[in-house]
Amino acid sequence: MKIVAVTACPTGVAHTYMAAEALEKAAQKKEIEIKVETQGSVGIENELTTEDIKQADAVIIAAGTNVKTGRFQGKPLLSVEVGEAIKDATALLEEAKEKAEDFEPQEDVVTDVKTHKSERSQQRTGAYKHLMNGVSRMIPFVVAGGLAISLAFAFGGIDAEGALAGALMQIGGDAAFALMVPILAGFIAASIADRPGLAPGMVGGMLAVQVEAGFLGGIIAGFLAGYVTEWLKNIIKLPATLEGLKPVLILPLFSTLIIGLLMLFVIGPPVMGIMTGLENWLEGMTGTNRVLLGAILGAMMAFDMGGPVNKAAYAFGVGLLASEIYTPMAVIMAAGMTPPLGLALATMITPNKFDRQQKEAGKAAAVLGISFITEGAIPFAAADPLKVIPSIMVGSAITGALSMLFNATLRAPHGGIFVVGIPGAVGNVLLYAVAILIGTVVTALLVSSLKEKIEVA
Amino acid sequence: MKLTELLTEDLIKLNLEGKDKEACLKELVTLLAEAGKITEQEEFYQTILAREELSTTGVGNQVAIPHGKSEVVKEPTIVFAKSETGVDYGSIDDQDVKLFFMIAVPEKKSEEHLKVLAKLSRKLMHQEFREDLLTAATKQKVLEVIKEHE
Repeated sequence: MKIVAVTACPTGVAHTYMAAEALEKAAQKKEIEIKVETQGSVGIENELTTEDIKQADAVIIAAGTNVKTGRFQGKPLLSVEVGEAIKDATALLEEAKEKAEDFEPQEDVVTDVKTHKSERSQQRTGAYKHLMNGVSRMIPFVVAGGLAISLAFAFGGIDAEGALAGALMQIGGDAAFALMVPILAGFIAASIADRPGLAPGMVGGMLAVQVEAGFLGGIIAGFLAGYVTEWLKNIIKLPATLEGLKPVLILPLFSTLIIGLLMLFVIGPPVMGIMTGLENWLEGMTGTNRVLLGAILGAMMAFDMGGPVNKAAYAFGVGLLASEIYTPMAVIMAAGMTPPLGLALATMITPNKFDRQQKEAGKAAAVLGISFITEGAIPFAAADPLKVIPSIMVGSAITGALSMLFNATLRAPHGGIFVVGIPGAVGNVLLYAVAILIGTVVTALLVSSLKEKIEVA
Repeated sequence: MKLTELLTEDLIKLNLEGKDKEACLKELVTLLAEAGKITEQEEFYQTILAREELSTTGVGNQVAIPHGKSEVVKEPTIVFAKSETGVDYGSIDDQDVKLFFMIAVPEKKSEEHLKVLAKLSRKLMHQEFREDLLTAATKQKVLEVIKEHE
């Protein structure tokens, strides 16, 4: 048993410390491990770390003032006046212990998923971190642009005819989509070289678009701009009086010129070749190859549920939107939805194989699934990775393959079931739904048959 | 910094005359004023009362720690006093109070001093410390007890 406590009082000179001492003494006698944070007038002492709180079985707050309890969320919490702890700390510990024993952990799946997500973004390092910085800044442009284009088609037919459709097309295609690759490149560069990287990155990205080097060219431009700017920052040494000119004049001028020339004469042409090849290959792909690509992208989405492999597939799909290739994006969203959806279904068809918390988690996973938040599968995968991950990969691969087979398209990079309501966003919507449904069912059946029954204690 | 640097012989009174809480608090504040630790006696007394209003400083086990933070305090000071008979203080355990530690802190706080007070507060939770204080018959002996437990 481990307990953490916070003591505080209005003046913060005496009661805070008496209560802390009383709790520590009583805990020692009862052989309970305790750590007491004091919030007195000397400031916070013996501060509780996230690790302490995580390990604690119960939390006691003995305070005559307001103590923030946000960080103790999901823990059995006993809140009393500071005097209580001084008067009878032993009884207080006893009460906290009871509370800990009766406590039903509210395994809040949504919070859990959030923690996983933020932990992952903190763990991102190096090139992957820079790439994701660019991709995440680019997404709002893709969402707005993609959906505006969808609406243009909905109002104006396949050629987007008419004033309104024309305007929507201009907003989505000529403006928002045109900014996509520059933003991607700019923020990759800014992630590497901080603010001075933004200008050369965006210019490099713009040039990548102009020479038709697409999102691949943009990614290269971003990294190049970042590292070149960083390098310039280090090698250019100016006398102190001129130092102020460096960020406003020297760095932008030279970094932009270097990147610009490289993009136009060195990087651009070969990447344009690769990009055109990729586009032609994707568009010309038939039968088995299409299905295979769908299956591979699908399995990648499920493999690490929001991790680097998943994000690589995702970035691939989003990047191709700039080249007006919409089928991979459809695969990626569908395959990203089936893992949480399939697991949710599994908790319903074989409830005896999941404990009560997981059944609750299933309901949340269903909501996360329809919103295309693949991370909703993490709580299940974390508990039983060897059975869950292969199952969801198979389900997602099948969905991906079907989506390609049905030639489903998606013009927006996110939104889950909610983009279906936007006219024109999804092409072949009925068969697309079928693909998602089949993958969900396959996932659920696999998980259900692989998992063993839980003995009811 | 040692506790005994904040508590000197002229700040100790072994037999409070007051028979109720208010009288005792007044005596303690007078002691502070006589030692030149506060500039305004009445004002500090009101500060002490205001703190008691908030919640009693009778922390149980016959101990009270009336305290106040105020501009009229020159430097952090502790007053120690005993009441032979015990005084009804409205303590959290309803016991009469025999041991008084009055703590006076200036508005401009020094961390070092506050840490000493924190240390004293922690010590008061230990029974031996309290018993030794109760049996100490002279001011010298009180200071010895505090030193011993430092």
